Amino acid sequence: MSELPKSPKVISNKVIDLLVSDVLQKNGVNLEDVKKKLSDDQKELLRAVVEDLTAQVDEFVKKSPKKK
Amino acid sequence: MTEFRALDHWNGNNDEENEVDVEQEAKAEMTTQQQSYEWIIVKDSEYVDIHSTDTQAAISLQLGIQAAIAAVISVTIGDSDQGKNVADDIKQFMSMRQRNTQKTIIENSKGIHVTTHDTDLAVNIQAMLQILVSIVAKVDIF
Repeated sequence: MSELPKSPKVISNKVIDLLVSDVLQKNGVNLEDVKKKLSDDQKELLRAVVEDLTAQVDEFVKKSPKKK
Repeated sequence: MTEFRALDHWNGNNDEENEVDVEQEAKAEMTTQQQSYEWIIVKDSEYVDIHSTDTQAAISLQLGIQAAIAAVISVTIGDSDQGKNVADDIKQFMSMRQRNTQKTIIENSKGIHVTTHDTDLAVNIQAMLQILVSIVAKVDIF
């Protein structure tokens, strides 16, 4: 959890985490099983996708005019 | 103070035409981005420079993040009913805030620059990214 990409925080990460945890729990997802299922290649690929999107969002937000 | 009236003196620039252009642009945005309505009305003005949020870029980003969330769920939970339910639930709180209306009226103005920004769109994109990062973190990808 310590290596999360830095992203601008509009809504607290804790709130988002709570919502996501709730959805996973409600649907009976076992996180330990999921972790075992993922191959290193898949992890690598998903990590690259998330990093790329984070960079794009940062760029989009930076381009926006500052609030007066 | 005397009121500035752009049409009092004619210098070859067609103000009427400007107005039509802006209206068309706003309409085009509405069709691509259903939840964001932007109106820019220019009246009795000249030399008006307008910059609006790059809605197209925002939509591509939204779609990119949505696709990534779907991919993460599919790879981790699988294309089962369980996966579909998780995706549906996440979609539900992603679309909590989807409507934005914005009106800009420019009247009796000359030589001005206007920049409008759809804050909701930016906030939405950031929140969607947070959701993606949160899911990914939970399955030890980071």
